[in-house]
Amino acid sequence: MKQQDIQHLYWRAGFGVTPDLLNNLSNLDKHQVVNELFQKSSRPSRLEIDTSELEHYTLKSLLKNKSKRREFITKSTDKLKVFNTLWVNRLVTTDELLREKMTLFWANHFVCRDTNIFHIQQYNNTIRNNALGDFGDFVKAISKEAAMIKYLNNKQNRKQKPNENFARELMELFTLGEGHYTEEDIKESARAFTGYSHDFEGEFVLRKRRHDYGFKTFFDHTGRYDGDDIIDMILEQKQCARFICRKIYSYFVNEIIDEHKVEELATVFYKDYNIENLMRHLFMSDWFYDEVHIGSKIKSPIEFLVGMTRTVPVEFKKTKDVLKIQKLLGQILLNPPNVAGWKGGKSWIDSNTIMLRLKLPSILLANAKISIKEKGEFKDSFEKYYSKKNENRFVSVKIDWETFEKRYSNSSFDDLKHQLIIPELSDGTKTYLKTLSQNSKRNFCVQLMSLPEYQMC
Amino acid sequence: MDRRHFLKQSTLASSLFFVPNFVKAFENLSTTSLGYKRLVIIQLAGGNDGLNTIIPFNNDVYYRNRPTIGIQKKEIIKVTDELGFHSNLLPLKKLYDQGHLTIINNVGYPNPNRSHFRSTDIWQTASNSDQYLQTGWIGRYLDEYGNKPYNAIEIDDSLSLALKGQNINGIATKNPEVLFRTSQDPYFKNVLDHYQDEHLSEHNLGYLYKTMIAAESSAKYIFEKHKTASNKQEYPNNEFANQLKTTSKLINSGIETKVFYSSLGGFDTHVGQLNKQSRLLKIYAESVEAFVSDLKEQGTFNDTLILTFSEFGRRVKQNAANGTDHGAASNVFIIGNQFKTPGFYNDLSSLSNLDDNGDLKYSVDFRSIYATVLRKWLGVEDKTILNKNFTKLDFI
Repeated sequence: MKQQDIQHLYWRAGFGVTPDLLNNLSNLDKHQVVNELFQKSSRPSRLEIDTSELEHYTLKSLLKNKSKRREFITKSTDKLKVFNTLWVNRLVTTDELLREKMTLFWANHFVCRDTNIFHIQQYNNTIRNNALGDFGDFVKAISKEAAMIKYLNNKQNRKQKPNENFARELMELFTLGEGHYTEEDIKESARAFTGYSHDFEGEFVLRKRRHDYGFKTFFDHTGRYDGDDIIDMILEQKQCARFICRKIYSYFVNEIIDEHKVEELATVFYKDYNIENLMRHLFMSDWFYDEVHIGSKIKSPIEFLVGMTRTVPVEFKKTKDVLKIQKLLGQILLNPPNVAGWKGGKSWIDSNTIMLRLKLPSILLANAKISIKEKGEFKDSFEKYYSKKNENRFVSVKIDWETFEKRYSNSSFDDLKHQLIIPELSDGTKTYLKTLSQNSKRNFCVQLMSLPEYQMC
Repeated sequence: MDRRHFLKQSTLASSLFFVPNFVKAFENLSTTSLGYKRLVIIQLAGGNDGLNTIIPFNNDVYYRNRPTIGIQKKEIIKVTDELGFHSNLLPLKKLYDQGHLTIINNVGYPNPNRSHFRSTDIWQTASNSDQYLQTGWIGRYLDEYGNKPYNAIEIDDSLSLALKGQNINGIATKNPEVLFRTSQDPYFKNVLDHYQDEHLSEHNLGYLYKTMIAAESSAKYIFEKHKTASNKQEYPNNEFANQLKTTSKLINSGIETKVFYSSLGGFDTHVGQLNKQSRLLKIYAESVEAFVSDLKEQGTFNDTLILTFSEFGRRVKQNAANGTDHGAASNVFIIGNQFKTPGFYNDLSSLSNLDDNGDLKYSVDFRSIYATVLRKWLGVEDKTILNKNFTKLDFI
């Protein structure tokens, strides 16, 4: 397989590729490369933090005692931060690239937020477990997750007083998209989800007295439907496959939608709603590797951050620094702006975020200084930056340049450029790079990462 | 001190000491064709419950529908025979008494959408509810009449769709100094100096380059303006008040910014509404009060109009969790000093003649308010920006 195609695949299905792996994969054909990607992601690895210090809390103790309740929420919120950084760390270190990338994708599809670490941890792993599985099972599992039941108010959805929030978002954002259902469909389907609740541990519970067992009329059919029935009926609409495939295309291929390709994917997906089959079809398609798609996507903040630290390993000394960077770049994992999630693409970029993105590699790796030493200039103060690297004030990091240098020891400066920069360099920038002194791969790495071109994958 | 640095400082010094005062005063007025009137937009994000904000205390239907979250008569600041303010809106009542507040009831649009995301988009893009626009109404104003990102500033870390145009976006900043420092890197300058690929796709890489170029010069301009101004009032200590504090500083610096955008979130009160909403209304009212006083003291209030909206109101009937679900029409506040008829612009719609979802019916299209503000306040052609002619109201 061509190097450029492997890089493209690994950026879209993962977070880039190291020189070693790229070298190994170059000897395989497309079928083998794609197979290996799925092979490595065949079984999910649970993401879990130590919650033992929270395990002595019981529902009873919290119900009775208001200050205990507050204490629980505070501790739980702290644990969420730990879980966030563990997730980021997983993205940086994992070999299960595709599963983790899909998890990220679905977490921004089935958007949810909660303060209970147990429920969020369970929710996150439900996404991970289903990320390449059966879409119908996936939606049903999501509808029964404690965090979701709370987030979209199914917990308040009772026979006597239905709450439409979940039913509406189920169709608008999770399955069909705006305009493919009526207000009446929402009202009726909301009744099917009445009584959805959960216990303290986060297990699903159907509260029978609150559930509406009556007849509902949904999509011109009438029956005593429950939530799973409604989801099955939604999946019968080909629009559901179209809606999901459109989103897949926009995320994995190109934001500029090619309706024919979406229809092609939807036809594959509609057959069995198997996500793995869909993704396999996508990555095996010749058009996935078309020149127009390569380097056409603006990296999300997480893709940008993870990609960077997969190239130069960086250890953050404080949890809050990892969170701060996510916040400033506009994407804090587990903390989406609203139920529609992050829009992505150009919306990541404005005057503010572009500046920070260009600045961040040097902030993390070179004390916020990017070398502008031109060819023929003396080796000078630049070395000093590195000697001071542990006094970095914006964030406190430990940089593992040794690993970087080992990884790229066989790469020339030109190789390094091709491996870090996916799109074609713009003419002016190409010219400027040539004027810079090429004494140190570290400097060159920071220079490359500080270019607008590095923001693309 | 190197030579360049010194030169910079001495230019700065000369501008401070040697420019005659009357020239500086003149600078603070209009320096472009945009005029000097400014618009400050505040979004109460999440869907503020208008009925518990301006309360119809003589309406039995209101109390019948809200047995546990209806606000009791004795707690309301009554201003007409029918309507009164939430008790935490006392600062707003003062503005009302001074003729600085216009309240427009039942503002909405046909076929209301009850999703936060979508309805916010509708308000920010000024679209029909079945129409999807990729640009915001302020963004299109920039496209027609602006030429720099800083012509519209959002006081936040990120930019809303409202300020995104086809060819030009506004800029977001919570802190002009941080913005400036980030933009000043010699490496970036070199990269940008070499930039010559005008043909790069606007869709991605070209967009990144152009955004960077505009960002660098805007950051510098905003910072230099910002540091010349100060606040003349104490503000409450919260993030929303800080947004208005920064806005005031920028307005009083004479910056060429026509529109400021800020927001206060948390109004999505499905559960336990009473406490949540009253806490937020307090933050809103006290911050706005400080802001107005600050502008008045510095002589800029006459040329400032403050528009407060929420993406939708909430259902008339409360839900089982002592909260309210997403609704439709609600009230809009306009604060300023140039009103024809301050106070209530219109009556509240009937609480018994609701739409099929049990929500208030709209009687004023929000785009009529936009059209009025564009035409009568900012003095521009509203139809090109809103893509349609909307009836102008006569509050200004």
